[in-house]
Amino acid sequence: MKIKAYASVFRMRWKMEIQYRGAMIGGVICQVFFGLILVSLYHALYDGKPQSIPMESVSTYVWLQQAFFRMLLSSDSELAGKIRTGDIAYDLSRPLNLYGYYYVRILALKLMGSIMRAVPMLLFAACLPKGWGVMLPVSGGALCCAITALLVGLCCVCALENITMGITMRTLDPKGIQSILNLLMMTLSGNLLPLTLFPDSWQKVITMLPYAQLLDAPIRLYTGVYAITFAPRVLLVQVMWAFLLGGMGVLLWRRNQHRLIIQGG
Amino acid sequence: MNTIKLYLRSMAILMKCQFQYPVSFFLQTIGQLVMEGGEFLAVLLIVDRFDTLHQWTPGNLYFFFGMMSVSFYLTECFGRGVTGNFPNMVRTGQLDTVLLRPRGVLTQVLCSAIDPRRITCIAIGSAALVLGSRLSQVQWTWWKGLLLIEAIGMSMFLILGLFLIEAIFCIYSVKSVEMVNALTYGGRSACQYPVDIYPRPLRTLFSAAVPFAMTLHVPAACILDRSLYGWPSWTAFVSPLSGLVFFTAVYLAFRKAILHYRSTGS
Repeated sequence: MKIKAYASVFRMRWKMEIQYRGAMIGGVICQVFFGLILVSLYHALYDGKPQSIPMESVSTYVWLQQAFFRMLLSSDSELAGKIRTGDIAYDLSRPLNLYGYYYVRILALKLMGSIMRAVPMLLFAACLPKGWGVMLPVSGGALCCAITALLVGLCCVCALENITMGITMRTLDPKGIQSILNLLMMTLSGNLLPLTLFPDSWQKVITMLPYAQLLDAPIRLYTGVYAITFAPRVLLVQVMWAFLLGGMGVLLWRRNQHRLIIQGG
Repeated sequence: MNTIKLYLRSMAILMKCQFQYPVSFFLQTIGQLVMEGGEFLAVLLIVDRFDTLHQWTPGNLYFFFGMMSVSFYLTECFGRGVTGNFPNMVRTGQLDTVLLRPRGVLTQVLCSAIDPRRITCIAIGSAALVLGSRLSQVQWTWWKGLLLIEAIGMSMFLILGLFLIEAIFCIYSVKSVEMVNALTYGGRSACQYPVDIYPRPLRTLFSAAVPFAMTLHVPAACILDRSLYGWPSWTAFVSPLSGLVFFTAVYLAFRKAILHYRSTGS
């Protein structure tokens, strides 16, 4: 019964996200332009000093990051508004768990938003010459592992998002904390600079952080930087984070709910 | 003269407003620090792994990065009215009141906002500039200082012009058109690095159409005692003026666009 309710919340958000096609086209053009700039930059850098990681792998990394950018930075702007205006009281009266309700909403938003953008972008990137565009996955198995890892990573980032929102319930203003967490995300998820190009000693730590689970881990599986035998370990770390962050979020929200003060009406 | 006085007075009032919410202001300033710090970290890590970028040494790269950050965030700080508020003014119909007053539209829009949070970004940019010029062993002379100020000032005109293009689109479509952001923010990301490393299409785009290369890279190369396109050094004083030309062209288009403004009525 509950599952059915969550599924319909998911479907509703999903359909809503499809409505914004204009925003999607704008976003895709923006992201393609950024992708081209970054790939050109790495080409120039590789001219001077080629690295052990092949150029194709770096360009693939860049394109996949740009294609799924929406998964990193998109949040439920409605929720922040509801917390501020006090409209969250309506959600509290729903016969659903508040955390679960918003978790499903953000999941649908991020999944649909990024798939809509990723498909045209990856088609474009696939047409680019070798070393500039997206390469094929190293093997069918790697592709399967990468997709699985992407989905688990998505669960991690949604849990992370809900923790941010949990903090917003206390501070009321999402801007401060959101901007810090989001920008840590830009750097530590590999969007600004592929994590594969970070100093090797840093990578050991950074790849363990939750930010790396979202896109970095799946891309490494896709490009073969992580061998397929390594996949179970990657997935284990991801699942661990997903549960840990989810658990923290649930606790935080539950405590918030007990001491929630509705801001007027 | 009166306009400048008006501007300064608005700025003073707006600053007072900003400090009414000290905690939020502080957190957002830290947020900016993390953002710009992350960008600079990316450059540091690139240098760590790749050492050089074509003809440019690490010091040179920091210098280019610093010049771009300082000009971009100074514009975002003082031009906040155009970069941030304008779409809202159009959407809510607030622009109507602006049109009624006996002052220029752009003056009033610029007077409407300031963004002091950017101060941390500007600080990091300046630090990168100083670090870059130390590492590149720049011999500072008075004309080099003048050139630096000219380059940053003209780049600010260029960046403000780019944001004005967005404002023009906004007048026609009411919605803010994020697609135009690609040129503004894309230009910032791309032109943190000297433009001659890019393939020809990008190089042409940033030299001729959106002349970041002219306002920033040619003078920066001259200050670093190098040359971007092999041009003589006097060109470094002339080429930044293209920023002003760009701004003037966009401003004229903006005035045309304002004539087409239709209030949303609310």
